[in-house]
Amino acid sequence: MSTLLVWREKLQNIYAQYSIYIRKALQFVLGLVLFGLINSNVGFMEAASSVFCTVGLAAVCTFLPMIVTVFAATVLVLVHFYALSMPVAAVSFVVFLLMYIFYFRFTPGKAWLVLLPAIAFGLKIPFVIPVVFGLMGTPTWIVPAACGVVSFYMTETVKSSAAAFRSTDADGLVTSLMSFTRQMLTNQEMWLMVMAVVLGVLVVNLVRTRAIDHAWKIASASGAAVSLVVALAGNIVLDGGISYPSAVLSAVLGVAVGLVLEFLFFSVDYSRTENIQFEDDEYYYYVKAVPKVGVSVPEKQVKRITGSQARVSGDSAENDAETPGKKKAEKKPPVSRKNRSTEEPAKQNTEEILLTRSLSRELGLDQDKEQPR
Amino acid sequence: MVDKRKIRLMTRTAIYEKEYGEEDVRICSYYRKDYSSLNTWITLIWITVGYALAAGLVFLCGGETLLEGITILRLLILLAVAVGGYLVLLILYGVGAGSFYKEKHKRAKQRVKRYMRDLARLEKMNQKKEINRS
Repeated sequence: MSTLLVWREKLQNIYAQYSIYIRKALQFVLGLVLFGLINSNVGFMEAASSVFCTVGLAAVCTFLPMIVTVFAATVLVLVHFYALSMPVAAVSFVVFLLMYIFYFRFTPGKAWLVLLPAIAFGLKIPFVIPVVFGLMGTPTWIVPAACGVVSFYMTETVKSSAAAFRSTDADGLVTSLMSFTRQMLTNQEMWLMVMAVVLGVLVVNLVRTRAIDHAWKIASASGAAVSLVVALAGNIVLDGGISYPSAVLSAVLGVAVGLVLEFLFFSVDYSRTENIQFEDDEYYYYVKAVPKVGVSVPEKQVKRITGSQARVSGDSAENDAETPGKKKAEKKPPVSRKNRSTEEPAKQNTEEILLTRSLSRELGLDQDKEQPR
Repeated sequence: MVDKRKIRLMTRTAIYEKEYGEEDVRICSYYRKDYSSLNTWITLIWITVGYALAAGLVFLCGGETLLEGITILRLLILLAVAVGGYLVLLILYGVGAGSFYKEKHKRAKQRVKRYMRDLARLEKMNQKKEINRS
């Protein structure tokens, strides 16, 4: 465990040192996965679904704020839908606009959260989202979670019924407009998954914020279980098409991700919990204090004894073993003639200084200096 | 020699300017009540547009079923439900937006106050340095 904690500290140090590059790299990967998923699933416009476009968009979005990635993904989806059918693009535009009006106007900084559920559903790991959002966020994160799920199922609806929406005559336009709206709004699987994710996030958040031991672990497990049960029960009732092994695997992965997040962001030692009770004029206080677990990364210290002679000393054997490439604690080499010649004047200087000090003490010169004026 | 305190202050002010500076100055150019009322009104207009769009989508989805064999009484009930829903939404968002924007203004003002204090400190430091030089 202590080795893992040391690794965590090292990771934190590396992140602190190179945070700007790490964040940009993550943003690039996120963009690549997002645009790749969009283009592979609903790539109706050939020019926009090329690898060049995917990589280019991801690269451009890397250097811009996250809100631009959200905007680019929205535009890309709309462009593909427009290439398929104008009514589909129009209805999708209205849905995205509604998301903006009712939520993202107030928190534009959190708009990127909507991408995560869409990506997780695209990668067939939907139950990771309730755990991650519940552990890392607040109950209001149910809104971006739900919006992400709706966006994903909207693209799924278009993907599965693409052939039906391809029509050019005016009568066909109206029909496809109504048919797409109906298909999208009455998609029972979509509403079921929205409910499962929302309930999961709320349960995880509720348990995580309780003052109980191992709250994060219990929260991850219970949230994943609630989401799984709701989704599978709803699937049985509605006779939907959710794959059981995939759903169970996703829930297990959700719990694993929860454990990783707990290790990274909430390592505490419950065995050393302190329960304290005290009072003031107005209240009685029942305080539970749980100490954090933390280790400091052993650092190599280099001590310079003299200007001419440097001696390196490692502070621990473990530390030395970790850096085999570097020079280890060097043994003091036998004093060579050159070193002797440099040492001799130093010795003479020391003797002179000591002599001067003892003389000035005997003559009382020190006292004269220390006397106040 | 490098003055650590001054560097800390300058870094803090620079971070503030980068993160919030422009928006906070814009927010603080209004009185709190004016800012919250203006933005609440804008929110209500957006909510009206959003509600109309959502109602349009619902109508597209189930319009045929709703209008099938419709009577005046049923139409009136439908209208009452639609208007009721709209009013509820309007009240909810109106109250929510009011408190949200008041809080936003309060926080912006606090940040601007702190920024001004930091600037004043910096100015004092510079003046002190000038005096020492002369």
